[in-house]
Amino acid sequence: MSLPLYYFLTVTAINILMSWALYLPYRVAHLHFLTVANMAISGYLGGWLVQGLGFSFWAALPIGLAVGGLIGWALSLFIGDAPTFAVVIVGFTFIYISRTVIENTPAVGSTMGMFGLPLVAGSPDAHRWALLALLYALVLVVGFLIHRFDHSRLGRAASAVFVDKDLATSFGVDIKKLGRLLQVFSSTLAGGCGVIYGFLYRSFHLDFFTFHLVGLFMTIIFVGGYATMWGVVVAAPALYGLTLLFPPAVASWRIVIYGAILVAVLVLKPEGFITRRLVLTIERLLSSKRKKIL
Amino acid sequence: MQVFLAQVINGLSLGSIYVLLVTGFNLLLLVAMIIHFAYPQVVVFSMYIAWVVLRYTNNSVPLAVLASVGASVAINLASAPLFQKIMKNREEVDINSTMVVSMGIGMIITDVLSHGFNKGLPISFPRQLVGDVALFRVGLISLLSGQVISLAVGVLAVSGVFLLLYKTRQGRAFRAIAEDPAGARLVGIPLLSTGLSSYALSGVLGGLIAVLLALMLGYASPGLGEQVAHKVLGVSIIAGLGNLPGGLVVGLALGILEALCQGYLPGSWSNAIAFVVLLVVILAKPRGLFGIKL
Repeated sequence: MSLPLYYFLTVTAINILMSWALYLPYRVAHLHFLTVANMAISGYLGGWLVQGLGFSFWAALPIGLAVGGLIGWALSLFIGDAPTFAVVIVGFTFIYISRTVIENTPAVGSTMGMFGLPLVAGSPDAHRWALLALLYALVLVVGFLIHRFDHSRLGRAASAVFVDKDLATSFGVDIKKLGRLLQVFSSTLAGGCGVIYGFLYRSFHLDFFTFHLVGLFMTIIFVGGYATMWGVVVAAPALYGLTLLFPPAVASWRIVIYGAILVAVLVLKPEGFITRRLVLTIERLLSSKRKKIL
Repeated sequence: MQVFLAQVINGLSLGSIYVLLVTGFNLLLLVAMIIHFAYPQVVVFSMYIAWVVLRYTNNSVPLAVLASVGASVAINLASAPLFQKIMKNREEVDINSTMVVSMGIGMIITDVLSHGFNKGLPISFPRQLVGDVALFRVGLISLLSGQVISLAVGVLAVSGVFLLLYKTRQGRAFRAIAEDPAGARLVGIPLLSTGLSSYALSGVLGGLIAVLLALMLGYASPGLGEQVAHKVLGVSIIAGLGNLPGGLVVGLALGILEALCQGYLPGSWSNAIAFVVLLVVILAKPRGLFGIKL
């Protein structure tokens, strides 16, 4: 497999997973940017475990997942039912705090970062295939779980919370518990993505975890459509691939392009391209075809 | 004790800038009903415009101030139709979606600054214009011209805004819209033009803040807007969104806290301490210390 294709596929998978990590708490109107901080914390921790303590990548990955989940759980005790803007600012402040701690921690390379992380499998080729397989297995598993969630009573409760919190409460939805569940899941996922993200490039640097990343994930969700999980699946490869098609001089302006697309979509098509109605229509079409075949 | 007093003076001048920023931010929140997250980015953009004008006019300060105010007002007024369109699309005031649009605008401004000006490097203002002349010095305590000007302009501007809000007809219209938009419309207050004048007023404030920041810091960088944006949103949330007197108290307190951290802690940690305090207060009181005024 060529390197550009490998990076396209792996980065797209990371973008899908991380955008799903934002999508889930947004089901209850929480823009949970803590995910990017979790990505950095678990990523660096995983890198340090492997490079500093001699752990294998396969042992560091579950630890990264667990640490992400733990941080998400601890903070969700306070912001499980907080207003959106409070959740946003908690995410941003956490990004700053984690960046400052990493900058001042020599064990993880401070501002220089960590380089020369070992391969996760025997040869460079095996390393790439292993990460690719791991990422797409995760996409399938997480996608399945989110699909089940969206079609469950909890998913319907989340939709009710998104539309009207007071109404949802009067229906007996425990807003705080639901918010906490989604925040913990999203933080766990982000922790795992952080570890894999570093091993993709076999290095960690603070420039990997900037506010541009927040902007990218936000653009993927809102352009694809925040009302269903499928918007992310369509928008992640499309937006990342779009900038690869441009000449380098234009591609370097990708954040401006993403920002312009985000603003344009929110103004012209506020629900994004893949709306819930579109998904329902496709599902109905597919099920009627299936019936005809049977 | 001398260090403490010197840092309190520093903190008051820095805090006065936070107060101005929070006042402009809250004005838009109360009257136009948007969370203009990118407001500090607009301010930093105005700093860059002032820098360009200074370069091409042989350091003409009046022209730089005019250009800075003009740029800030122009961006605010240009973004107004976008926000209005989103609110119309949603058929109700949706603070969350205006916040996301604002983040998109912020992404664009930050990336334009990092590509279009000075090759992305930080800009520095001419030394003779930066307010680092000591007007008064006793031991470690010194009063710099920049600090005096920023404090004086800050006090005047905030007093002016408060006078406008509480002693004029236009101010009553602003407050009426903030209190009850439907009621304000019923008694004949034009929502659109009053909303637009709040964009213009916060633009004027933004231009002034840009000049004061240039005086105080002597430099600007593309990432400065993001950092300030997160602090301003943090201060607004801690004070209680839309609470103008609360913003005054918390803005000054944050300025003093940051200055004290800079005085007593290594430089790279001072920002993190400020963010930790913001985080702790937001976690404990997600709806603010002085109550939300929305």
